[in-house]
Amino acid sequence: MYMVFRQGQKVEIYKKSDDESWESYMDSYVGLHGIITDPDSTINDPDALVEVSLEGKGTHRFPQDCLRQIGG
Amino acid sequence: MSHHTCPVHHAVIALDEMIHAGQLKNPRNRWTAEAILTLMRDIAWGNAGPRHLPAVDDKVAQLKTECTDEACRAVADFIESTVCENREIFDSHIETNNCATGDCLKLAPAPCQMTCPAGLDIPTYVTLIGLGRDAEAIDVIRNDCPFPWVCGLVCTRPCEFMCVRGRIDTPISIKFLKGFAAERAMSEGSYRNPQKEPAKGKSVCVIGAGPAGLSAAYYLALRGYGVRVVEQHSVAGGMLLLGIPRYRLPREVIDREVEMLRQLGVEFSFDTRFGKDVTMGQLKSNGFQAFFFAIGAHLSFRLNIPGENDFPQVLDAIGFLRQVALGQRQAPGKRAVVIGGGNVAIDAARTCLRLGCESVVLAYRRTRSEMPADREEIEQAEEEGVRFEFLVIPEEIVGSGGRLEAMKCLRAKLVTLKGQDRKFPKPIRGSEFLMKADVIIPAIGQQVDTGCMKSLTGLDWTRRKTIQVNMATMSASLEGMFAAGDAVTGPATVIEAIGGGKRAAESIHRYLSGMPQPKMPAVPTRRGRIEWLEVPAGTKMTLKRPEMPLLNIDRRRTTFQQVELGYTENMVREEARRCLRCDICLRCGKCVEICRDKMGVDALQMGYFDFDHPVKTDYRMTEERCILCGACATNCPTGAMQIEDRGGERVLSLCGTILNRQKLLVCENCGAVLGPARYLDFVQKRAHAVAKIDAQRLMCDTCARKLSAKFSVDDSPVRK
Repeated sequence: MYMVFRQGQKVEIYKKSDDESWESYMDSYVGLHGIITDPDSTINDPDALVEVSLEGKGTHRFPQDCLRQIGG
Repeated sequence: MSHHTCPVHHAVIALDEMIHAGQLKNPRNRWTAEAILTLMRDIAWGNAGPRHLPAVDDKVAQLKTECTDEACRAVADFIESTVCENREIFDSHIETNNCATGDCLKLAPAPCQMTCPAGLDIPTYVTLIGLGRDAEAIDVIRNDCPFPWVCGLVCTRPCEFMCVRGRIDTPISIKFLKGFAAERAMSEGSYRNPQKEPAKGKSVCVIGAGPAGLSAAYYLALRGYGVRVVEQHSVAGGMLLLGIPRYRLPREVIDREVEMLRQLGVEFSFDTRFGKDVTMGQLKSNGFQAFFFAIGAHLSFRLNIPGENDFPQVLDAIGFLRQVALGQRQAPGKRAVVIGGGNVAIDAARTCLRLGCESVVLAYRRTRSEMPADREEIEQAEEEGVRFEFLVIPEEIVGSGGRLEAMKCLRAKLVTLKGQDRKFPKPIRGSEFLMKADVIIPAIGQQVDTGCMKSLTGLDWTRRKTIQVNMATMSASLEGMFAAGDAVTGPATVIEAIGGGKRAAESIHRYLSGMPQPKMPAVPTRRGRIEWLEVPAGTKMTLKRPEMPLLNIDRRRTTFQQVELGYTENMVREEARRCLRCDICLRCGKCVEICRDKMGVDALQMGYFDFDHPVKTDYRMTEERCILCGACATNCPTGAMQIEDRGGERVLSLCGTILNRQKLLVCENCGAVLGPARYLDFVQKRAHAVAKIDAQRLMCDTCARKLSAKFSVDDSPVRK
């Protein structure tokens, strides 16, 4: 399921992604929460990588299929 | 051990347990293990230096030699394997003074610093700015970002989204504080370069003079490498200069910060396009031993609709902004239509207004709430007179005699497809209409222009047409080649590009020095342990984030003068006082639990401690309820909560925020400090059932005993 993400939204990395941009060190991020800091900034593309700041784990770009919105 | 556990922390706890469980029977073995534990504790508590880890290695070797039984050998093997498998993390603790997991409590980084893609030590520089030490703040920033002034004006500030203060009211205005400090330091002449390392006799070629390329060039030059930047345009700055309009980022700001690179010896070859004017073979024959590609994403996506290629008045947004940045000042037409909803579209629309277009319409396929542009940019564009047309799908560009006349559009409605949360614009049949225009500027995104890289056979690309790199090292698939910035991430942010450039510089240094590369992206480095600013709780709660003063609207419509005029000095110093110093307070909640559950006082209302479900915070409530017992401070693992007697008062503070201060009462007999009245009342109420206390008298225990004792050793008769 694709979701649209906007700046400031709280999200969870709820699963690993099969996307090529997923790197092995990101496995440890599954289950962590964060904030969308830079969404797909131009073309609103479900395939674009979005920038997420994870609590205590820094800022990374993730494929959207591993993210889900939390907290309404 | 899970991925979320720090191996340093784990090793300290495990070794401590082994020693105290009596696993080491031989005293000599135990002493050696205790010495190793001391060294490990230094690493976990931020007190270690470069000699610590070799010393651990030596002690482990000594322990193995001394071992007299299997239990001792197990301890030695455990330490040896833990250090060997996690050496990078041990090194990182020593080098950065940060523990990414937060397990090593004194090294837990602040959320803002962890969030910054370049890892700026925000609590330290914000506090320095609060103290008026702007030049020192800039020195701290430039350890991680060579362009504090640029970032102070255009950073997308992910740090502010993660700012813990935002859970109380509004985040600290980190970006604008940085901008102020940089401008002040530059103005005073105290903006300076750090000392370079001695020349290493090796050279690196950087392709692209955008934020990623310049950032890598800066850190490589500081390392002592010879650096030449090859740039296809006639100026340095890349998208900073050619993509961001001057009313947001004046050229002088870029020029001044780039000049600092020149002073470090960085050389520039302008008007030189890689793959055309210069080849990889030529650069290698010039002696460059490593290459950093930061070519950006300058190629605009096309609309792919009829008429797009038929009229010269259809301008791609990046090309249009570039021409204006390089000095073109003619209005592209009377009626401009910009297509898109991102920051580039907003920039193009606002630029059209400033060039004198009579009407500027921004046409977007979705609605305002789906626009990916920054909210502030959207608001400023509207204030200036850009008109927004939502739910519009371009269908054809029409004109006659080679002259563009209008854009044929369809109205759209947003629909949600089954199983998807994303709304898609669906054309409404029969809703065609003409949007009159003299110029049309599509701004629907950019991609990497791969043309210049065609000669690099063997270079891996992603399916998104970006350069494939290892994100921990920024190394590409070709030997000695590294890349970062938009060429790797696709169109992204300035601070991500700067962080990527810095990371690549470190990896290039390791590559050229024969050092092993990191497996994970580096943990940000803590640059200082500066004292906090003391602020009363009332002030901390009532200080508000200042509004940025803006240029008047007439000038914004007609000139390229900077729109954001900058904070005043008073605004800056006050804003810095709002910082919660999350580099010291970990928000572990122990203070709240102790106060509420153990003492039954419940004087700490720290609703911001919870990331997912923050509730109300009011520091002022502490003064109403707190008895100043000090239980919170005693149990604080990092020393963020402090209690002290000074000037006849007992003062409780959290990272410098004065939560409570009460007058100290003293023994009427000997003058010893008894504590504040509220604390004495609390003790009296708890103790009155077991011991009668004369509430009318203020006396310490010793004097009270003397008074109430029936016999005194001093005056009782001596019996022989």
